[in-house]
Amino acid sequence: MTRHIFRRIIQSIPTIFGVTILSYLIMTAAPGGPAALLTFGNIDDENNIQRQQIEERYGLNDPWIMQYVTWVAGNDWQVWKNRTIINEDGEEELVFRHTTQGVIRGDFGESFRQRRPALDIILERVPATLELGIASLLVALLVGIPIGIVAAIWHGGIFDNTSRILAVVGNAIPNFWFGLMLILFVGVFLDQPWARGNRCDLSANSRTGCGSVPIYQRMEYLLLPTFVLAYGGIANFSRFMRTSMLDTVSSDFIRTAYAKGLRNRTVWWRHAARNSLIPIATFLGPAIVGVIGGSAITEAIFTWPGLGRVFVESISSRDYPVVMASVLIASLLTVVGYIISDILYAVFDPRIRF
Amino acid sequence: MKQFSKLLLLGMIVAALVAIVVPVGAQDVPAGEGGTIIESNIGDDPATFNPIIGNDTVSDAVSSWMYPNIIALDDVTLVEAPGAPGGLAESWEYDETGTVLTLHIRQDMFWSDGEQITADDYIWAYNAIKSGQTTSPRTAQLYQLDDGTVTDGTIHSITKIDDFTIEVVLGTVDRDEEGNPITDDDGNLVLLPNCAALSDLNSIAVVPEHIYAAAFGMDYAGMDADPYFVPEGENGLATFGVFTDPFIEFGVQVSLLANQDYIDAISGQVTPGEWLMQNVEDQTVEYERFLAGDFTTIGVSADNQNALRADGSFQTIEYPSNGYTYMGFNLADPSNPQPGRDEDGNLVDQGIHPIFGDLLVRQAIAHAIDVRSIIGSRPDGDNPATGILEGNGYLIATHNHPGLSSTDDELADAGVEPYAFDLELAASLLEEAGWVDIDDDGIRECQGCLYATEVDASFEGSEFEFELLTNAGNNIREATGETIRAQLAEIGIVVDFQAIEFGTLVDELVGQEFDAIIIGWRLGLPFNAGAKGLFGVGADIPGSGFNFTSYQNADYERLVDEGDALAGCDPDARDALYVQTQIALWEDLPYVWLFATNTMIAAQPDLAGWDPLPYNTQWNIDAWSTSD
Repeated sequence: MTRHIFRRIIQSIPTIFGVTILSYLIMTAAPGGPAALLTFGNIDDENNIQRQQIEERYGLNDPWIMQYVTWVAGNDWQVWKNRTIINEDGEEELVFRHTTQGVIRGDFGESFRQRRPALDIILERVPATLELGIASLLVALLVGIPIGIVAAIWHGGIFDNTSRILAVVGNAIPNFWFGLMLILFVGVFLDQPWARGNRCDLSANSRTGCGSVPIYQRMEYLLLPTFVLAYGGIANFSRFMRTSMLDTVSSDFIRTAYAKGLRNRTVWWRHAARNSLIPIATFLGPAIVGVIGGSAITEAIFTWPGLGRVFVESISSRDYPVVMASVLIASLLTVVGYIISDILYAVFDPRIRF
Repeated sequence: MKQFSKLLLLGMIVAALVAIVVPVGAQDVPAGEGGTIIESNIGDDPATFNPIIGNDTVSDAVSSWMYPNIIALDDVTLVEAPGAPGGLAESWEYDETGTVLTLHIRQDMFWSDGEQITADDYIWAYNAIKSGQTTSPRTAQLYQLDDGTVTDGTIHSITKIDDFTIEVVLGTVDRDEEGNPITDDDGNLVLLPNCAALSDLNSIAVVPEHIYAAAFGMDYAGMDADPYFVPEGENGLATFGVFTDPFIEFGVQVSLLANQDYIDAISGQVTPGEWLMQNVEDQTVEYERFLAGDFTTIGVSADNQNALRADGSFQTIEYPSNGYTYMGFNLADPSNPQPGRDEDGNLVDQGIHPIFGDLLVRQAIAHAIDVRSIIGSRPDGDNPATGILEGNGYLIATHNHPGLSSTDDELADAGVEPYAFDLELAASLLEEAGWVDIDDDGIRECQGCLYATEVDASFEGSEFEFELLTNAGNNIREATGETIRAQLAEIGIVVDFQAIEFGTLVDELVGQEFDAIIIGWRLGLPFNAGAKGLFGVGADIPGSGFNFTSYQNADYERLVDEGDALAGCDPDARDALYVQTQIALWEDLPYVWLFATNTMIAAQPDLAGWDPLPYNTQWNIDAWSTSD
């Protein structure tokens, strides 16, 4: 297993490298550059000096491949990028363009928009995303899988049909609409301040931040966004689990279990359910990534300061360093997610050997 | 004793009546105990707290509470006023050339750490910007940077005369016919007065030099590496404004605390204890949260104004927006975008747009759009609201500040009316322009249109079809585009209307490859009526300039230049010139000016001391208090 994981990690390096090249190419080829967006509307700047300065500072006029090389390896070694100015004493002075050391040395660059290290922007959003992501994944699994099992046990019955209808509804309702409706109903009509978005009571924590409040003291703020993010997962996991269970119960070993005289409950929950989890494990890795990366809309609606929101905002503003940092982290999470899938696969099915 | 009891009873009744009758706002709330003012922020976090490098409205909104201006604006007229609260300059005078300005600054202003505010605090920020080492957008206001880059702004130098006197050389460089700068016998540039240049001085911040210099020295670029720098020294924070001591939780909110050392407070004290600006996703959530009491004040979008007005339980102020929405035409050949001037300063022949190169066509479109129906009407009794703006908008005729022109405070009314909705006139103009429905299919074709007769004969027979763009996500613009598409179809014009992502739209726009666009401008205050940044040839630069319609009119340029450089800067005489520029724009129609929305600012019922002025609703924020 250890060897397999190590091999998978090594194999993932060129994959991640390829993802970053493609991402950079697509991103820079997209219409509307960051300098144009940052300076749009500054009509006093008739000669577009500001735009030129931004382009110069961040090397935005370089060919995309050169920009990519700078992103990977930095520009502190690119001596040709420096320029000279005349200082106060009339002497020539060497001025360095904004320097970066490149991702291979841990420098993800500086956000064009916020002028802070892109990695800082990403990392400060991770706790909020993990809070919401883990909570919603747990809810989706802990609610969805039992529903699937029960629906399979009484397949064709009222519970099965009801859960099927709810699953279809759950998949059909867009979460941006559902989120807004919940805010409107619970937050506005029922006048519950915790249901109007945010991670905590903002006014009470305006000088410390929500991160300083222990999560158990602000659980109510997690309720709605977690539910909005989880209900699609509940619908999917319940249907997958039901199908998997029905598939498993028609297997020979289940018939053998019955033949041995085991109780129904033991057969269903100990033998069938455990084996039915194997295909679910395959979904789990990507689901982890999906929950983290796919929560942008929910985060936006509930003003949840997470990664998804940053990712979307940085794409809209063409903030290349933040976009690339997000892509890189998402790629790493994907790799980690699939490795977790492999591990879970082996845990659920001892027959599997890597 | 009986007498005393009667008097006591009478006194109590009077006291009770006074308590009931005197408005909440007049009650005495101790300094700092007026609760928290919470505003919404539909946008990103502030990129910086440093006013020197601030480049976005959110950053400006935060830093404006903490730093003074060199010249403050009058709260009502919003023009530069000597000695106005929050400004250093108590008086100023020009020399006889009109290009050397001497500013005398107040001697009663101190940073919150006790250090006196002097000329050094302005000069340091000027030097930082002039160094060109920072990402400050204010370089555009300077003529030249330290590295020799000519940025062609109006400020040529700022010099400290003494601690409380500053000399500024400012103006427009005089140029010969070939566009080369004219110099005097000593080799100095010859400057012409620029009446609009005074406003540029406020682009340079006033910061506590004793803290900034200690923190950054001459490494001005260091400010970019520390965008959330807060000036704090041994004696505490050094700010000057209603609020201070910023704290940011990224993606969530910014908090500022009341600054009780602020001597320019309108009410003599800072009543609220804290100011919060909380991030919110969009106007829908913002509005609902305001109704629920989460925000103290908000700007109400046009589609919610009627409901809030009918509700009647909130405090509101309404006035025409200081911005407008327009339909802009590409007047030049979109297949070969070129700058307005070549490297030698000569005008470039940019060709003409196949459709919009003809003024008659632009006039026809202006007459074919029913702007009144787009604006619509407010609900009246049983009659529901109509139109996209549901009556919450104003017709405008040209590039002008709709609020100021309506009150005639700042810019004289140009005396022109919006083009009247008249389909018959529009149709006849199109036929005069050589656009007729030859095959009777409901779509007009070129039959002797300008482009076919003067540029490319093969264009003859082409259908009248063009692409109209706007930014996706702006519901009003999207609905306006759909309406215009439908209205122009009635006179045989095919409009391919598309709402696209904003970044892509900007690329199309500044690339000058578009046909027509619906977008808007928010006009700055004080209002610069000249607007060469939008209509001047110098701003016609494919890839970056904002004269993306490629409008060229020598008379317009001359009038603006005359207005900007008028000796003595007499407001009435300048207005007379700018009125002519407005008329030129109205006649030439680079844009069809559509509407200005109605601005409604709403405040919670319990907000006391709220006394908003149009365009300046927060002028007395130091007197506000909430019951929270």
